Amino acid sequence: MTAAIRAVGLTKSYGKKHALDGVHLSVEEGSIFGFLGPNGAGKTTMLRLMTGLARPTAGSIEVLGRDVAEAGNAVRAEIGFLPDVPAFYEWMTAEHFLRFAGGLFGLSGSLLTERTGMLLDLAGLNGVTTKIGGYSRGMKQRLGVAQALINAPRLLLLDEPTSALDPMGRKDVLDMIVSLRGRTTVFFSTHILGDVERVCDSVAILDHGRVAAQASITELKQRYGKQKVVIEVTDGADALVATIADRAWAASVARAPHGSIEITVTDVAAAQREIPALVSARGLGLVRMDAGELGLEEVFVELVGGGAS
Amino acid sequence: MSGYRIFARKELSEIVRTWRIWVLPAIILFFAISGPLLARFTPEIVGALAGSQLGQIELPTPTYFDAYTGWIKNLSQITLFALIIIYGGIVSAETKSGTAILVLTKPVSRRAFVIVKAVIHSLFLTILLVLGTLVTWALTAVTFGEAPGGALWSAALVWLVYGVLFMALMTLFSVLISSAAGAAGAGIGAYVLLSIASIWKPLSEYTPAGLPGQAASLAAHATTPSSLWPIVTSIALSIALAALAALLFRRKEL
Repeated sequence: MTAAIRAVGLTKSYGKKHALDGVHLSVEEGSIFGFLGPNGAGKTTMLRLMTGLARPTAGSIEVLGRDVAEAGNAVRAEIGFLPDVPAFYEWMTAEHFLRFAGGLFGLSGSLLTERTGMLLDLAGLNGVTTKIGGYSRGMKQRLGVAQALINAPRLLLLDEPTSALDPMGRKDVLDMIVSLRGRTTVFFSTHILGDVERVCDSVAILDHGRVAAQASITELKQRYGKQKVVIEVTDGADALVATIADRAWAASVARAPHGSIEITVTDVAAAQREIPALVSARGLGLVRMDAGELGLEEVFVELVGGGAS
Repeated sequence: MSGYRIFARKELSEIVRTWRIWVLPAIILFFAISGPLLARFTPEIVGALAGSQLGQIELPTPTYFDAYTGWIKNLSQITLFALIIIYGGIVSAETKSGTAILVLTKPVSRRAFVIVKAVIHSLFLTILLVLGTLVTWALTAVTFGEAPGGALWSAALVWLVYGVLFMALMTLFSVLISSAAGAAGAGIGAYVLLSIASIWKPLSEYTPAGLPGQAASLAAHATTPSSLWPIVTSIALSIALAALAALLFRRKEL
């Protein structure tokens, strides 16, 4: 697989502050890539460098095999971009703006009309004749997604695409992203972990301008995530917590509501073998025992610590 | 090339569909209408207001040249100030609001973004000047009974060169200064400097500083040195300023 985006030692500094600090990143063509990080981690700066809106202080970034700064229009013709807060000409209507955006990509005639109509449908703005100045933030966000798709881009760059949307709008945008899988490389930055877990093939976690981890979601959970066992006992859970905490395979033990105990384990097989015996030794009844992986959220918190938002 | 064309069409639509179609045209139209009427009736107005206080002083009979010089004077002062203020944000308004980001991440070069703006708005100024001058010309003919066109149009065209120079200057300032008010302040500063420079004869004869004086002299049908050098240097400077604005904008981070 070729890389749609390749950053090598990418650094962006503002005075003494490093917004990005030696970022190495590779995004496979055709994949859906989640770019996670707490607020201020450098996600928007990364997107500004990818789109040529800013220049790196050091290192390099290639988009679709070309240097962004050198290639100019040739790269921009193949990407679609949605900024975190899209700003439009408020005197235009949605249709007018999409036609304008399509025109900038050289689209015209029936192709432009057809694509404009399709994207207005996608954005739920078909038949809306109000000027953009009167739109809600959600409507602007949906129009932002639509304009990013007007050129059927090879690479779609989305900065927090679902942040201003209601649950239905969010679902629609995520479904749209999933529908592009294999045809378009989608790179989207977000701090909504559920969105990433739902649609992404791979993910990078950015923290204080550095990539803390990059891998497929499954691999990331395996690499960083200890496994979790949740048990529910009939009575005496507090005493059992102390007993389990002494075991070598128990990384942490915490009480959960309704007599449940959450145990983060380093060796799930040992835990599954020994827990029933420990429960039985205390004369307790085992109501339930579930074993599973940690979620992306827990991996994220583990990697970026308390700085996460 | 389609990027230039589509963006130019957007600039034209923006002029027609926003406040831009009202403000500068209204100012120019106001002076185009009021100039000849004020020139024609000033003696009567002053006489009525002053009454017997004028005594033996007799005001000269106004001529169509008074209407012409009034038109050029208004263009060179209030209209130019309005232009400076209106175009303080010609580029920065888009970079500040974020609309430039959606345009410049599409196949539109930054050079096209800046040059199209400077050219389209210079064209808009030209159309307004032609319309305003036509109105002044017609009203002068009606109020004075005669209005030879040569002096008026030559003066207006000389002023147009000065107006376009300021359009290019404001484009540059708007790239350099992110605040529209700050750019307007710099524009007014440039206006004051050029006004002072016009006092020194070599600068007046060979640089843009001489254009307002030349335009006023042409309108008054007074003897003037050739306008060729100020026009040539102004056009060259306008092109250089717009090119510099495009170059600096290309290096700017958004």
